[in-house]
Amino acid sequence: MELTRLISTSLEFLSTITFNPIAVKKILFNSFLASSVAVALFSCRPTIDTPAPTKGSLDVSKYVAIGSTISAGYADNALYHDGQENSYPNMLAKQFKLIGGGDFKQPLVDASSVGIGAAMNARLVLGPVTDCSGATSLAPIALGKEGDFTIFLTSVAANGPFNNMSVPGAKATTTVYPGYGNPANGAGNFNPFFTRMTADPATASVLSDAASQVPTFFTMSVGTDDVYGYAISGGTKDVITPSAGAPGFGFDASIDAIAGTLAANAKGAIANIPEISSLPYFTTVPYNALVLDNANATALSAAYQPLGITFHEGPNAFIIEDANAPGGMRQIHDNELILLSIPQDSIKCMGWGSMKPIPNQYVLTETEITAVNTAITAYNTKLKATAEAMHLAFVDMNAFLKNVKKGIVYNGVSVSASFVQGGAFSLDGIHLTPLGNALLANEFIKSINSAYGSTIPKIDATMYKGVSFP
Amino acid sequence: MKKIITVLTICSPLLMHAQGFQVNLQGQKQQGMGGTGSAFIQDASALFFNPGGASFLKENSVSIGVSPVLSHAKFADGASSTISETNSPASYPFTAYALFGKKDSKLKYGVAAYTPFGSVIEWQDGWTGRFALTRMQLQSIFIQPTVSYKINDQFGIGAGFVYGTGKMNIRRDIPVADNSGKFGKAELDGKAQGYGFNAGVYYKPTSQLSFGLNYRSEVNMKVKDGSATFTVPQSLQAGFPATDFAASLPLPKTIVLGVAYSPIKKLTIAFDAAMVGWKSFDTLTFDYATNTPTLADTKSSRNYQNTSAFRLGGQYNVTSKFDVRAGIKYLKSPIKDGYVSPDVPDADHVSYSLGVGYKFNSHFTVDASFTYESMSRTDTNLESQLNGTYKTNIYIPGISINYNF
Repeated sequence: MELTRLISTSLEFLSTITFNPIAVKKILFNSFLASSVAVALFSCRPTIDTPAPTKGSLDVSKYVAIGSTISAGYADNALYHDGQENSYPNMLAKQFKLIGGGDFKQPLVDASSVGIGAAMNARLVLGPVTDCSGATSLAPIALGKEGDFTIFLTSVAANGPFNNMSVPGAKATTTVYPGYGNPANGAGNFNPFFTRMTADPATASVLSDAASQVPTFFTMSVGTDDVYGYAISGGTKDVITPSAGAPGFGFDASIDAIAGTLAANAKGAIANIPEISSLPYFTTVPYNALVLDNANATALSAAYQPLGITFHEGPNAFIIEDANAPGGMRQIHDNELILLSIPQDSIKCMGWGSMKPIPNQYVLTETEITAVNTAITAYNTKLKATAEAMHLAFVDMNAFLKNVKKGIVYNGVSVSASFVQGGAFSLDGIHLTPLGNALLANEFIKSINSAYGSTIPKIDATMYKGVSFP
Repeated sequence: MKKIITVLTICSPLLMHAQGFQVNLQGQKQQGMGGTGSAFIQDASALFFNPGGASFLKENSVSIGVSPVLSHAKFADGASSTISETNSPASYPFTAYALFGKKDSKLKYGVAAYTPFGSVIEWQDGWTGRFALTRMQLQSIFIQPTVSYKINDQFGIGAGFVYGTGKMNIRRDIPVADNSGKFGKAELDGKAQGYGFNAGVYYKPTSQLSFGLNYRSEVNMKVKDGSATFTVPQSLQAGFPATDFAASLPLPKTIVLGVAYSPIKKLTIAFDAAMVGWKSFDTLTFDYATNTPTLADTKSSRNYQNTSAFRLGGQYNVTSKFDVRAGIKYLKSPIKDGYVSPDVPDADHVSYSLGVGYKFNSHFTVDASFTYESMSRTDTNLESQLNGTYKTNIYIPGISINYNF
């Protein structure tokens, strides 16, 4: 079009030429100017048409997210304001606004708060840490000696009901549990993260608070905490939820109850559970990081001679506790995992893993790993079957995080599961960074668009950061 | 009047500009005629277009010209539909030619200075592809002393030595954020040098018909002591030291074969076919003098392909003093699918141009031209995975002053 105008204008311009040399001179002088004017007249800026967002068969006017730690925006080992702002349900809600989505309320903690984690801790940040040997390096450190208890002591229920009904630590079984926020149940039998956000701690369940909002669309990422409590503690705390059992006791029936209730009047998306091998919490510390010189190897071999354990120069497998092994200790196998929670100084200066066995809570043994993997496989089978049976979108979070582990490149940004540098995982090595959440939200959008014929644009994830560096 | 319209009608369906980052703006007469010029010798710009034809010019000639390039590009991110745009400054490719020789001498000498390659593109702050590129500026100036010899009334040959000097400045964001969420930045800045030649043969069998063959060699522009600087969070600064770097950018050889024909005395139609040896631009390597675990040398695969351009143009002498010109050219992009990047969002495209010339007296001529190009391309870059559609509009007005004596 612009070209046609350009040519026709030029022709008009030429048609004004009378072959009078004086006029011609004038015209010639003006021609350079005329070109510049032409540039100003025809818009310099190209236009690009992009597909309009459409909702397909979706109604996202009332979106409720039910879930657990990851979807709550828990990150850097705590629930804190910026993490919540960057939860993937919150990011999804922003995209939903393009197709008629409503407001999305979250039980936000104060922006100035250091947050609070499962161990009553403050959130982690990167900072210079001087270890026992006097070497200083960049490492995660808690932002305070302890977490912000006022978060648990201050109910925000008056700001609710909340669209993000994701409660850190909630399992499939506890999501359906009435009175899950009731302190009268006694420590360990209620969840203070839920207490602060429910209007009815004594009788409400996470599910009942979600359902009473009558969502038109829901996302469900439930089940991670049914197995991760066990895995994170090296198998020393918590139990893995069995598949069988009534709602509130068994995984499958609890999932049926949650999905059945929410899907009765709404469309939705169900996410599955990542395998532990995708997460830096389980993969960062090598099993054989005990590097010995010849003298130390000889000395250790002599000391462990009664147990038949020998060491050699170079990398060696750490010594771990194992009640079933002779002497209650053995070398860790190459298919077993040392957890990110292990105190680094204890390895470096206290002889953990060499002079003393590494305590059980920092190790996942082969048996424990098998138990975890078996549960995750069973859960994922159930979650996929549920999505199919109820005609819901299915989000393969497990496959997504496996891809992250292999390494992905997104608009010039390399993202991997490598601890700190990888950019996807926050400083706890389990929960995602804002960048990781944005990429996960895009997986949801992909599945939702495919299931419901909508064309919701994906998030420009370059707007979100990975780990922050001082 | 009718004739003018006829010329434009003939020319407009098939007529042909930037290709990769080659800049084909070395003469206003030629620009007005779609870039044709290897077989149609009119002034000292023949030193560039065909050194073999320069000996056919009767007079001494000096000429200077400039063609401001105004370009505006947009990018629509394929996944998010976010639209980003450039705020690129104008660039000013220029030409300066001087041709001397005794009257009726078969031997002519000349010097040419011109800007055969260059590019400047600057994307808006915070755009989605900023970790691939935020700004790139490439500038080159070639200086070419030349000798042209007229063997007989039909044949001319000529050749010039090319000394190239240039600058590169490349900026991108680094995907590491500080606590305030600000991302890091990298800037590479360097000066480059290279050498080559430009040779041509001109053949004019009849007064109406002429042929031209022009070979411009590859000029490998080498950056020896470029400076790289990185702005990153303080805790990472040790891993991103300021360092020298070396790089090289092979500016490709170009071979042009052309014909010019004058069916009537007042009209000349010219056609050029060009091959550009972009295959030489295979990998862009930055070799840092200081490497750290976070700052490794980079090798970016470009994998350009040899490419071609077809140019058609006409010039009509409205009066003995006034010429009008029009031209069109088709340019095939050297960039393969999977390698389009925000530094050169090039695509196959057509370029349209118009021009005028006025001879004030036997010495003094002014020529002006206007060129318009528009291109669009959708691609996923294999290296950055940046996926989306680029669209670029380019407007190039130009003017030159020629003095013959």
